[in-house]
Formats: sequence, C-alpha cells, structure tokens
Amino acid sequence: MSSTLKARGALVAASLLLAAPVLAQAPQAGAPPTDAATPPAAQAQPTITKPPELVQQVEAQYPPEALAQGLTASVRLIITIADDGSVAEVLPTEPVGNGFDEAAIAAVRQFRFSPAEVDGVPAPVQVEYVYHFTLTAPEPEAGAEAVEAEQPKATLTGQLISRGSRSRVPNATVRCGDDPDAPEVMSDEDGRFTLEVPAGTCEVRVVATGFQLYQTKEELKANETTEVNFYLAPSGGGLETVVRSDRPKKEVVRRTITREEAQKTPGSFGDPIRVIQSLPGVARAPFISGELLVRGSNPGQTSTMMDGVEIPLLFHLLGGPSVVNAEFIDQLDFFPGGYGSQYGRAVGGIVEVGTRKGASDTLHGSVKVDLLDAGFFLESPITDGISVAAAARRSYIDAILPAVLPETEGGTLSVVPRYWDYQLRVDFGAKRGTPNDDTTVTAGGARSSGYIMAFGSDDQLRVVSTGPETERDLELDTRMNFHRVKGDWTYRKGAMWSVFTPFVGMDRNNIDFGLARQEGKTYTLGAREVLGIELSSALTLRTGLDIVFEHERYDVSFPAPGGIEYVPFPGAEPVGQQLEEQIALNAFDGALFLEADLLVGRFTFTPGVRGNLQTVGNTRNLALDPRLWVRYAATSRTNLKGSLGLYSQPPETFRFIPLPYGNPDLAYQRAFQSSLGVEHRITDVLNVDVTGFFNRRFNNIVSPGQLVANEGGGVFTLPYSNDGIGRAYGVEVMLKKERASATDKWSGWLSYTFSRAEDGRVGPLPQGGGGFGGDSVPDDSAYGLSPWDQTHILTMVAGYVLGNGWELGGRFRYTSGRPMTPLASGHDVYDADRNRYNATFGPYFSDRTGGFHQLDVRVDKSWRFQSWTLTAYLDVQNLYNAKNVEFVFNDYRFRREYEVPGIPILPVVGVKGSF
Amino acid sequence: MKTLLEYGGLLLLLGATACVDVEDQPSRVHDFRVLGLATEPPEFMASACELNPATLDELSEPVTYRALLVDPAGEGRPIQYTLWACADPEDRTCANESNRVLLAEGTTAPGELTLSIQPGAATLADETPLLERVQELDPYLGLGGLRMPLVLFTQAGEERVYAQKLMVFWCPAVEGMRANVQPVIPGLRVDDVAWDAEAPLELRGAGPFVVTSEDVVALQETYVVPGLRLEAVTLRESWEISWHATLGEFSPQETGGSSFGGQEGRHRTEWEPPKGAQAQEVTFWAVVRDGRGGSSWLVRRALWSP
Repeated sequence: MSSTLKARGALVAASLLLAAPVLAQAPQAGAPPTDAATPPAAQAQPTITKPPELVQQVEAQYPPEALAQGLTASVRLIITIADDGSVAEVLPTEPVGNGFDEAAIAAVRQFRFSPAEVDGVPAPVQVEYVYHFTLTAPEPEAGAEAVEAEQPKATLTGQLISRGSRSRVPNATVRCGDDPDAPEVMSDEDGRFTLEVPAGTCEVRVVATGFQLYQTKEELKANETTEVNFYLAPSGGGLETVVRSDRPKKEVVRRTITREEAQKTPGSFGDPIRVIQSLPGVARAPFISGELLVRGSNPGQTSTMMDGVEIPLLFHLLGGPSVVNAEFIDQLDFFPGGYGSQYGRAVGGIVEVGTRKGASDTLHGSVKVDLLDAGFFLESPITDGISVAAAARRSYIDAILPAVLPETEGGTLSVVPRYWDYQLRVDFGAKRGTPNDDTTVTAGGARSSGYIMAFGSDDQLRVVSTGPETERDLELDTRMNFHRVKGDWTYRKGAMWSVFTPFVGMDRNNIDFGLARQEGKTYTLGAREVLGIELSSALTLRTGLDIVFEHERYDVSFPAPGGIEYVPFPGAEPVGQQLEEQIALNAFDGALFLEADLLVGRFTFTPGVRGNLQTVGNTRNLALDPRLWVRYAATSRTNLKGSLGLYSQPPETFRFIPLPYGNPDLAYQRAFQSSLGVEHRITDVLNVDVTGFFNRRFNNIVSPGQLVANEGGGVFTLPYSNDGIGRAYGVEVMLKKERASATDKWSGWLSYTFSRAEDGRVGPLPQGGGGFGGDSVPDDSAYGLSPWDQTHILTMVAGYVLGNGWELGGRFRYTSGRPMTPLASGHDVYDADRNRYNATFGPYFSDRTGGFHQLDVRVDKSWRFQSWTLTAYLDVQNLYNAKNVEFVFNDYRFRREYEVPGIPILPVVGVKGSF
Repeated sequence: MKTLLEYGGLLLLLGATACVDVEDQPSRVHDFRVLGLATEPPEFMASACELNPATLDELSEPVTYRALLVDPAGEGRPIQYTLWACADPEDRTCANESNRVLLAEGTTAPGELTLSIQPGAATLADETPLLERVQELDPYLGLGGLRMPLVLFTQAGEERVYAQKLMVFWCPAVEGMRANVQPVIPGLRVDDVAWDAEAPLELRGAGPFVVTSEDVVALQETYVVPGLRLEAVTLRESWEISWHATLGEFSPQETGGSSFGGQEGRHRTEWEPPKGAQAQEVTFWAVVRDGRGGSSWLVRRALWSP
C-alpha cells in the first residue's frame, strides 16, 4: 500500500493550531520585568496584548519506518517561546512514538516566532502546538486539475462551538478530507468559518487545540451555501481549558490556585479560600473552619482581598462558606510572607482573589445547588468591547430547619440562619483575544482599560426560644452585611504605567440579644494608586499610595457589664442598669510605598519601603516598613531567593472607642518576616520549592490588656493592648505537578511544612484573668507554644481525569496534634461562689492531642449536552472516618480529659449546570 | 462583628462538646463533695471606708460559717477539715503561709458543718491585720469591697477538696449601698406539688419529674456598687440555684442567672432517675447563690420507686 502513497511532511496548516498562548511558567530571571509592569490591582490578570506569530516554519522529516508502514500521527507539543521569539523549549504532552515525536521536536526547535507581549512588554509565553504527519494520495492524472476547475463549487459556512459550554472555538482548522491539497480555512474569533469546496460529499475534519478531532460528512450542493454549527468536544475532562497565568515571581513565595483547582480540590466544598489551607505554611484550622493560620500567625492576621480591596468578612455564618463565589474567581494568589511594599495591613500572609472577566463571545452561565445554598453565575458581552460577569448565592437552610426542629408545647423555637452574597463586574475594553485585549488605544500611543466591580454579602441569624419549659426565654437577632464598589483604571504609555483603584463601601453590623442591642454602621472610602516606570532594562521603579478612610457609628444599649462598669463578683451574674451609648469614630489609614527592581547580572534586587500612617480620633500611629527581596538565577531552571522586612497591621477601628470599651492608645501591630529558599523547575509541569522562614511578631493586639488605674479614679481592665508577641520558624516544601494540556490527566501537589510557632504577651498576665492568643490560659505562662502550633503539616492533593466526563480527586492530610496542657490533679479545688471547680494543670502546653489524618475524595461526573453541561459531584470528607481529636476538655471537677472528635465521614452532593 | 464570630465558634465547640458523653455530672452526687459554703451574715458593711481600728472593730464581728459536706458513699466516715482566712483570692488553696490565718480545724461528719469564726479580726504572723493585706493585694483597690478568701480544706478518706468562699467587707463608698441579705429559697415544688422538708415525698415512675422553686423574683435585691467609670452602678440580683441528688441527674443542673443580654433563667429543672435503678430514698439539695456572696441551701428527701 505504501507504494501507492506519497509521503509528505507536516502541514503548514498545523502551525495555525497555536492555542491561545499562556504566560511561561517560570521565566528567566533576566527577563524583562513583566511583573514590574504589572501593578498589584492588575496582578491577578496579566494580559497577553500581542500573541506570538510563526514567522519561520521548518518542515519535519517524516520518520522512514513510519512512512514504510504507512503510519500517520499528530504530535501535540508545548512550546516555550522566549521573549525574543526564539524557541526556548519543546516538550511533547503525550508521546506518540514511531519517531514522530523526535521529528516534530527537531523541526519545531528551528521555528521562529514574533515576540509575544504581555501588558505591552515582550515576555516569554507558552503555546500548544499540534504537528500533523499525514500521507497523501497518489498524484492525480494529467488533466484532472482541469476537471476539478470545471467542477461546480459549494460553500460550507458555520460556527464552531464548544460542546457543553457554547464557547466559540477560534483558530480551528476546518477542511474537507485528509488531502493536504484540500481547501481549508481557520475559524475566526467568534468561531465562524466559510469554506469553498467542490460540490459533493465533504468529509469534514475540524482540528482545534484542546478539542477532540471532529469529523462528519456534509452533502454540499452545487452553487449553494450550507450553514452548519459544529459542536466540538473538549479533549480535557474539565469544562474549560486550564489556563495558567503564572507570572514572574518577585515575592519569595507566591502560590497560585486556578479556578479549577479551587473548585475541585476535595474536602474544600469547592470553596476557594479553604483550598488555601492545603498549601505549605498554613496550619490546619479546627473542624471545617476556614481560618487562615499562616506561618505562626493568629486568626485575623492574614488579609484577604478581592482585586486589591479587602474583604471585610470572609466567611458566612458559623463556619459557613466563604463570601467569594468560586465561579467568579479567575485565580487565587497566596503570599505566606515576604510580599511587596504595595501590600500592607497584615502581619501574617496575603490572599489575593483575582476575579473573572466576563466572556466576550456569548452568554454563558451556570447554576449550582448543594446542601446549604444555591447560586448562579452569568457572563456575557453587552456590546462590542463591554462584557459583564455576575454571580449570586443564597442559602436555604432557613427553609429546611423548621421541618427539623422539634415542636415545643406552649412555646416557640425558631432558628433562622440566612446568607447571601453577590459579585458583579463590568469590563470596558476590546474583545478578548484581540491584540489589544482589555485595552483601548488612545491618541499618542497611550492605552487605557478598566472595569467596575461590586461585591458584598449578608448574614442573618435569628434565634427565638420561648415557653414555660425552656431554661430561659432567648431572643437573638443578628445581621451583618457589607457592600463594596470599586473601579479600576489602568493607563499605559511607553515605559510608564498607572493603575488607579478607588472604592467605596458600607458595612452594617446589628445585634439584638435580650436587653443588649447594637447597631453599627461603617462607611469606607479608599483608593490605591500605583505608578511605575521602567527606567532601563535593569531598573524599574514603582511607587504609589494606599489609603482608606472609615467612618464608624455605633448605637448601643446594654445592661452594665461586670469587669467594665463594676468589679464583678464570681458567680451569678446580676442584671446591670441599662446603659446607652452613641459612638462615632473617624479613622484614616494610609501608606506611601516605593520599590525598585534592580538587575545586576544574575541577581535581581528589590528594595522597598512602605510608610504607614493611622489616625483615629486623636491617636496618630506611624510605622515604617523597609523590605528587601533578592533573587539569584543560578541556572535557567533554578532560582535562589530571599527576603526580609517589616510589616504592619493597623488595629481595627472599633478597638479605638473610648475606655473602658476600647483603647485609644493602640499602635500598629508589627512583624519582622524573613525567608530564604530555592525553586527548581524539574520539568515544565513539575516544580519544587523549598523555603525556610523566620518571623517575629510584636506589638500584636491581645485581649484583655492590663489592669490600670484611671487618672480620674477607678480601675480599668484595658480591653485590648499591644502586648502580644510571637515567633515562628520552619521550612516549607511544595512539589507541584500541573496539567500540561487539556489532555494531561494528572495534576496535584504535595506540600509539607515543618514549623514551630510561639505566641504570648510581654509582661505578666493581666490580673483578674484573661487569655492570650484567643485561648484561656490554664496557668501563669505569658508566653509559650502557640495554640495553633503544628510541627508537621503534610498535604497531598491529586486530581485525575478518568475520561468520559469522570474526574477523581483526593486530598490526604496529616498534621501534628494541637498543643494541650495536661491535668495534674490530686485534689479538687472548688470555688463555692461560682459553683465551679478550678483546674490544677501541669506544664503549659507540654502535651499534644493525637495527630490528625484524613482522606477526602471527590468525584465529578459531567454530562455534556449540545449546548450545556450538567455536572454532579460527590465530595466525601474523612473517607475512612478517622477519629481525629479537635479539642480536649475536662469534666467539671477536672479529673478526666475528654476528647472532642472532629467531623466524621461527611459526604456532600452537589449539582451544577452550565452553558 | 468579631465578637459574634467568636461566639459562633464557641457555639460550634459547645455543640461538639455536647456530643461527648461525660460520665461525672455535678448534679449526681456519688462521692465526697462540698456542695455549698455560706456565711451569716453574707457580708459586713463598715460605717466608713478608711481601714482604721474603729472600722476594723466593726468588721470583726463573729460570723457563722456553714459548709454543706456530703458523702453518700462514705458510710458516715469522719471528715477532717481545716479552715483558713487568706489574703489573695488567686491563692485557691491558701498555700501562702505568710498570708493566711488558721480559723478552725477538726473532724466532723457528713452534713452541715457550722463554725463560728471572726475573719475580720484575723491578724497575720507579723501582726498585720489580714484585711489590710487583702487590701494591699486587691488590684481593684477595694472598689469591689475587700474580698477575703475563706478556704476550707476537707478530707474524707483519700478524697481531698479545697473549697474557697469570698467573705465581703464593704463600706458605703457610694450612696445607697446596703449590706447584702442572705438569699433563701422560699420553697420547692415537684410536678407542681409543694415539697416540704418534714417528710420524704413519694415519687413513682421513670420521670422526668419537674422540680421548681417558689418564685424568687420579689426576693432578689436591687443594690448599688461603686462604678469603675460611673459614680455608682445599680444592679439587680439574679439568683442561681444548683441542683443535686444522690440518684439520677438534673437537667439543667443549674437554673436562673442572667445572660449578657439580661435574659434571666427560670428556676425549673427536670430530675430523671437512671434506668434500672431500685426503689430507694433519695436526698436532694438545692443551693442558691445571689451573685454577691450570699448563699444558702435546702435539703429534701424523696422515696422513689420505678
């Protein structure tokens, strides 16, 4: 048979199968400072403003043996294109053998591209490329061409649509038959194509990156136009192609989580914030709480932001889901420490949630329903250049609970928890995928882009328990909500750029509990401006300001509490006289920052400084935070990195209310953070990062403070003071395998942290009792192991695409047990006034609970219909039902320890429909 | 907001704790216990706020000290006791010998131990009046009254209990202050039937039996104390009653009191005998505390049969 066939090299058409390029995963250290050109508000979404184009194509040699056997193949490759357009690296995603891989790689290595640009600056990128080796039929006999010319023509026109999501498929090749001489055409940005072919049967072949080969037959009548829609099946298991946008790293450690990872990591219920807990440097929070305990810091010391604006309330009611809808995020960046000068207001880590720009092709959306809530996500172009994305979610536990709660005779029992949240984003700019993506070109070569976003959440909890058989009549009514509206304007001209991010917000915080009532409102006005300029290829400067103004008002009424209004007596709490207060506070927190990237040989130095000013009432606080990062490119695959610096976090405004309910003399919480590490790219999809850290926290807020004599008489226990200190050190290891392409089945990571965290306060414990670090103190120790200390934290996360719509994910965790103080009793110590026993403890935190280990598994199954996709998932926490210990408590006489178990096996089922 | 979240976390923890079956319960008295301590009067009120010989004399009146010692499984074994007055409320066992004064010691039998003591007259080994030392060690500079810990050490067999009660010595620091009146439970009812002390009540069945106290609202005093910020703060007592029995358990085990929001509990509880128990006489104790140092108790008996 081979004798009748004529060999022919790979088709040039294959070169047109360039996928939408993505930023290279670990560019060279000497690469242009694309990160420098990426201001913080836009950091979550660097944009490829100019895709690479193939300018020099080299034909591959057909492997002789394959040729002899008449074999054909398509070799799928990942090409890393350097910032000068040369091919830096070529890797097959799935070797096909028979010499095709070697031949294709050898040819592609000689390719030459026009340099790609990211945010207007040349940058390394990766593209997926398919090299087809085909065999052609024998040369037609003489005169055949004339016959063909006389043959009547037909037109095939239509649109390529991604099956299950209705996304348009651009840059796909549409042709009739396998003949290399057959006419072919590329689909445009809307997936449309028009092909003129000889009338008759057309064996349609559609080749598109990330999609399975599409083949069908169309009968085309002479001189007629046939219009079709072809639904292409994605070759990956996910609904969307995995798009990574790892950017050049300046920070010593930045972990990036994609939307798919955020949604499909087992045990996280698809909650993006909880996925962060699976990364190195993050201690495990108790139960299913999503608290972020980063490198020895306490809860509340890690800041979470949505596109540069702080999220004031991260989780819904009582350990509920985070207020960030997973559908709305583009990706998450997590900085456990050593972050840039443009970031502040945290002495722990930073989580930056990058939101998603609305689709530019057509209307898409999804609806998700699970045990607790239901929500939707919609994205659509409005007009050319304007797109919108919106998401909302509401719980329905309040509708289910009445059916479960017991009926009370002659009384009322009502529990109404309710939450909702929303996100809305409107983007202004050119259509996605165009050379000036996200950008409007103005006169003089300057470019502007922008978007407006709103987000917020609302939590309500109403509990009413009344009746003659209840212990007491109880009425609790709380409501907390916040709203934020932000803008984002990015302006670039030449080597200068500017990003301006203003925002306004309103928070409400109401509590009614019996005679105690609080109505709190906070109005927020803030802005961030980052101005950067690339002075030379070796020096880039960035400067800016970051300001927030708050006006808080509290209208409170409550019975006079013991310990604040009078000296409490142990035991039965009396009912105090009713007090009423109206409090208003104006607060300003601002920062000026300046940093530079200086390239010296293989070194990149980034010195920076952030000056912070906080004013609340008559209080003025200043803090200066110098920081330095150094990166050394040891090899093209290995970087050494280090950082040290100071970090400041202002106390929340409400803590400044006058004595005795606040402390107007509070100062910035501070921390010294340092780290040293190495990162190495084992392969393009396999990276390892080892980082050691040492952090020292000081001036941290603790509650209560010391007992102090008031100048005008009386004695107060300061509700808060800056006596908190802490220290943490350890080593983090992260080994991550990413999916090389949509057909790559494996992804996941292994993270391990070895650390020691200490926490406490300067000076003695306050007289009259009081805890530190959020826990009660069982002895006189003012400093010791942190309650959150976990020596070993091991997490393994893996996802596997089984095919046919099935995906399987697993997460295994092991952490050392939490510190605990053992009992050392021998006699009972009874406080007769309180009717409570007092414990006699052994050395503070000299023991630990048992180690925690748990396996979570998640199975996803997708059914792709023509224009929509249905996905069902089963997320099982604690698959083998490990009896983990979350806490230890004692019986009432402190004679015996009892272990509070963690959650048992917990299956959660959810359904999601998307189009 | 943060406070509410912390309360939320606490609620979750309490919920999880509730899932753990704790064997030993305060209301089920099965071994040696000190169930209550009281002084009569519950507090002293000096005529002036300077601690001088005259006021010390006023505060040195005798006090009747009572301790409710129960030992249902002890078969009447002797109970050794030692009573100290100390200076530091944080010294729960009165271990600091330089700051303590021995008031009484001896051996007694289970039941109510009654002693006549004069804690206000106590002087330390260095001749310092104990009240002066209490004042020195008080971080609140006497704004909550001088609170002298009375620590009773008791031992029955191998079981040892240190029990502390604060004896309050007030002075009229602000207008309207009056000495505390001892709280007394006016009476108890079982399933709405009066429960007298004279004869054991007959109870039959698996229960639960609803036990209530007679209304105490009118007995709860409104009183005035010096304020830490304001001149004076007006408070109203919200009594708590703890419930104990030699068989079965009470739920709730403590009633009354007020929450942060001033929502007061009602004195209603349910007593439930254990399944499979034999008919027997059961002793019940209800100990009331007024939240400012006053305390007393009632003892009741019942003949229970399944």
